[in-house]
Amino acid sequence: MTDANYPPQADGRASTPLEVSTVADLCAEIEANVAEVIVGHEDVIEHVVTAMFGRGHVLLDDVPGVGKTMLARSIATSIDSTFRRVQFTPDLLPTDVTGVNVFNQKTREFEFQPGPVFGNFVLADEINRAPAKTQSALLEAMEEAQVTVDGETRDLPEPFTVVATQNAVEPNQTYDLPFAELDRFMKKLRLGYPDPEAEVELLGRTVGEHPIETLEPVTDLETVVAARETVASVRVEEPLREYATRLVGYTREHARVGVSPRGTIALLRAAQARAATDGRDYVRPDDVRTEAPVVLPHRIKTTDRDRDGATVVENALERVPVE
Amino acid sequence: MSTDSSPDRSSHAGDRTVDLELDGTIGPETFRLLACCCVLVLTAAYVSVLREVTRAVGGTEVLFGLVGAMVLAATVLAWTIRPRTATVLAVAAGAVGFAYYLERAGLGVDVVLSASDTIARDTAALATGLPLIRMVEAGTWTLAFVPTPVFLSWYLAVRGRYGLAVVPGGAALCFLVLTGDAGTTVTLLGTLAAIGAVGFGELERRGGSIAQADLLAALFALIIVLSLSVTFVPGGSGTPGHFAGNEDGTLEGTIDYASERSGIGGSVDLSPAVRFTVESEQASYWRTGVYDRFTGDEWVRTGEHGNYDGPLGEPPGDGERVEQLVTAETELGVMPAAPHPIAVEGDLAEYTDVSQQGQFHPETPVLEGDTYAVESVIADPDPDALRNAGTDYPEPVTDRYLQTPEGVSSEFEERTAEITDDADTPYETAVAIESHLRSSKGYSLDLERPDGNVAEEFLLEMDEGYCVYFATTMVQMLRAEDVPARYVTGYTSGQQVDDDEYVVRGTDAHAWVEVYFPDQGWVAFEPTPSDPRDDVHSDAVQQARSDGDESVDTDTSEDVPITDDEDESEASEENAETPDVGEDEDRDWNDSETDPGYESDDDGTDRERNETEPGETESPDSTTTDEPIEDDEADWRTTLLELVSISREAATVGVVVLIGLAASVHRAGMTTRLRRTIGRYWQRPTDDPDRDAARAYRRLESLLAREYRPREPSESARRYLESLEAESDAEIDPRVESVVDCYERARYGGGVGRATADEAIAVVDDIARKRLPIVGSWRN
Repeated sequence: MTDANYPPQADGRASTPLEVSTVADLCAEIEANVAEVIVGHEDVIEHVVTAMFGRGHVLLDDVPGVGKTMLARSIATSIDSTFRRVQFTPDLLPTDVTGVNVFNQKTREFEFQPGPVFGNFVLADEINRAPAKTQSALLEAMEEAQVTVDGETRDLPEPFTVVATQNAVEPNQTYDLPFAELDRFMKKLRLGYPDPEAEVELLGRTVGEHPIETLEPVTDLETVVAARETVASVRVEEPLREYATRLVGYTREHARVGVSPRGTIALLRAAQARAATDGRDYVRPDDVRTEAPVVLPHRIKTTDRDRDGATVVENALERVPVE
Repeated sequence: MSTDSSPDRSSHAGDRTVDLELDGTIGPETFRLLACCCVLVLTAAYVSVLREVTRAVGGTEVLFGLVGAMVLAATVLAWTIRPRTATVLAVAAGAVGFAYYLERAGLGVDVVLSASDTIARDTAALATGLPLIRMVEAGTWTLAFVPTPVFLSWYLAVRGRYGLAVVPGGAALCFLVLTGDAGTTVTLLGTLAAIGAVGFGELERRGGSIAQADLLAALFALIIVLSLSVTFVPGGSGTPGHFAGNEDGTLEGTIDYASERSGIGGSVDLSPAVRFTVESEQASYWRTGVYDRFTGDEWVRTGEHGNYDGPLGEPPGDGERVEQLVTAETELGVMPAAPHPIAVEGDLAEYTDVSQQGQFHPETPVLEGDTYAVESVIADPDPDALRNAGTDYPEPVTDRYLQTPEGVSSEFEERTAEITDDADTPYETAVAIESHLRSSKGYSLDLERPDGNVAEEFLLEMDEGYCVYFATTMVQMLRAEDVPARYVTGYTSGQQVDDDEYVVRGTDAHAWVEVYFPDQGWVAFEPTPSDPRDDVHSDAVQQARSDGDESVDTDTSEDVPITDDEDESEASEENAETPDVGEDEDRDWNDSETDPGYESDDDGTDRERNETEPGETESPDSTTTDEPIEDDEADWRTTLLELVSISREAATVGVVVLIGLAASVHRAGMTTRLRRTIGRYWQRPTDDPDRDAARAYRRLESLLAREYRPREPSESARRYLESLEAESDAEIDPRVESVVDCYERARYGGGVGRATADEAIAVVDDIARKRLPIVGSWRN
């Protein structure tokens, strides 16, 4: 499953692979840490954390104000990474994201001013407000883990995780993400409103000092990189690869556009991360089942209104035999 | 558009139906054909039984004509009349037939009203094993019986109501089974056909495929095997009484193997044991049975026996009343008496039956030591009276005593006519035939029973035979010449041990002929040549005596030499035996030949023949002493041969059983189930722990499936377990999870170690065996 799509590890960050159980513990710690800021949504937190370990990016599709930014920030803080935030607007230029060469008067040379994408944890807020050109600049970074400015290609730091948010409230003022670009997000998640108790709790925490200000990291980037190595080495055996193929095959048969092979890869990577957070060094069908509803639906296009991608995936899980 | 597409679609659907048929579904027409064939086979089964009857009493052509007409009528009427009308028609036809039968039987239709209990009793008698052949008007009965079931069953079959079609046919066959006429093979065939009809009919109706015929195959096999292993069908034919003298293979046993039938066998032995003693002023043949119907291979006494209640009427003609006191020395199934008995006294009287031919029969075997007194009128007709008796036979006599089986060859009739060419009166005819048989045929007990009509074979083909053959042939020849005659069995007078005492042995068993003369009644004739017969028979006694057989003699008979004694009583005995004695001058043969005094010279060859029998039985002994090794080998070979022959017989049954088993196993999907069941409780570890772990999990899964529900294919092992826990309140063994873990690691992870796999196996073993309580484990 080591795929060429992903960049090699960043220089000078050699790390020894971690035990799976250590990874599991690490995940648990991060999740617990984040949960101090984000009330409720444990499952979403877990999904985002596993996506990070699975070398994927996350699209949060939700109304404003439910804590998308806070979620990203708290995770970034927890792993002691550099957190960058890009607010996408209709007039945002690609260089505003990637960075730009600036002429240095002193040295009489052009110097590269890295854009916000050069961070470990990048929050692309309201990504659908920017035009396609700007979006694609970010998407190149996501896919290739590198940016090209004025013909020069620069690697992005490792780890590199994008959490993009999408505003679903004002559809007429947005540019919908092209289908091909949606495909590049490992998972598409929804936070949704917290339930009443959780909200009461949230209010109780945030009226005074916001907990994010005092949040401490629970690990460092080096460990996270090592953990990602470990996750990548989680076993995916033949029967499971076949199962994933069957699932994806079902969506292709039952929708206008089914899940692409990139989607299958994403599914198995997510399952690997899920297995690791569970302390296992092998993926079992249940991991795939858990991840499929968040990994697959946004890659599926249906013709009739009643059935969206989620329904197709649901059916697939119900009908496709495990063995 | 839509109108265009719809015919298109329908034609497509039509195509698909055809395709399906080609794919292995057998068309309903084939099943229909099979079902109809089965109904026909069922019909053929019971018609063949009835045909056995008509073959003896005549009417086969009419029978077949009736069957054909009924089938034709049913085919024509199948779609023109309604089932109710058809039933009424068929029942009406049956009623008319039986009315005709009752008329023919001389009872009249009134009897239905006046003596319905008699009818009911007759029906009961038939249904409890009275063979059809014993009915006086068996032919008419057969013809009355056949139309209703044939018509109804074919009518229903043509209408496609196979289940119902089997009912009348099955009922007819069932009735014939109860009368004992339908043999095992015919019954089996009929039953199979009935099941086949219903089965194929169902397959036709529900559009089944040949694959579903496995149930049918299983049923067939089951029935065949059952019918071969169980025989509970009551029947008069196959149940000879087990009293002394009725052993198979003896002359007596052959003659009187069942109380109302007398068979004709092949080789017979002679039993020299004393049967009974008679105290009588006059010697006579002691008659035990009278038979009127000849089927070609056996004699049957028709009509029911009545209870003896008071003396019978005296027979016509001259005769002398003689009292006899008979003492049974062994258990007897018969009541010997000099012809013609008219009264019986003693304790046995109330257990005495009288046949319609005027012969006494004991209801239960006469026990050893039982004594009864019989009064008989021993006929002593005047030859002239017989010669002048004429041919004015009463109708009951001609109805009953002129019967010949169907298909008597013209050759037999021509030969008979040739022999009796010179005879002008029935008496002369009888005498001619008698003398011809006595002079032209030899006497032998050692012969092979011919196929076909025994009388015909004996007259035309055979050179020697014994009394049964002589008597049978004579009766049939007489009947061919329209002289009423009947076949009687019994014993010759036996050894005279005192002035008025006779000892009768098994060797004295005999069969002879009675011919009817108007106003004179039944007169006995003796077609069997006496000399050789008595040689053979007395030799048997001598042989038994020298072998020390105690049953050969009574206290009184031992000292009396058989030959001498009979020589002395020659004249008187002969007088008593055969009424023809008086007409010696009319006979072609020398008087001395007819005398029972013949035993004077022991024919060397005869004696030798008798002696060879024990000699032969001894011969193996001599071989043993001479060449014991070879004998062992021979023994071994014989055993092997026996084994082979047994297995060959058994092979057919075995094949049937196997087919049946295979079909039922296929039916029940039992192979898979059995394998699963066995596999559920037993697992042998292999070299590959991963495989063992997977196997352990499969076993667990099947256990859980039985206990709760099977796993959905889309459910993963763990999810299955979780949903089981959620669905059922019952707590699932916590160890189950460890098995699933082990399985997952083996299948999706890096594999498991030996110990882990063994542990999983052990857990599943434990769980499985905990649920084994025999009964529950097979309940699915």
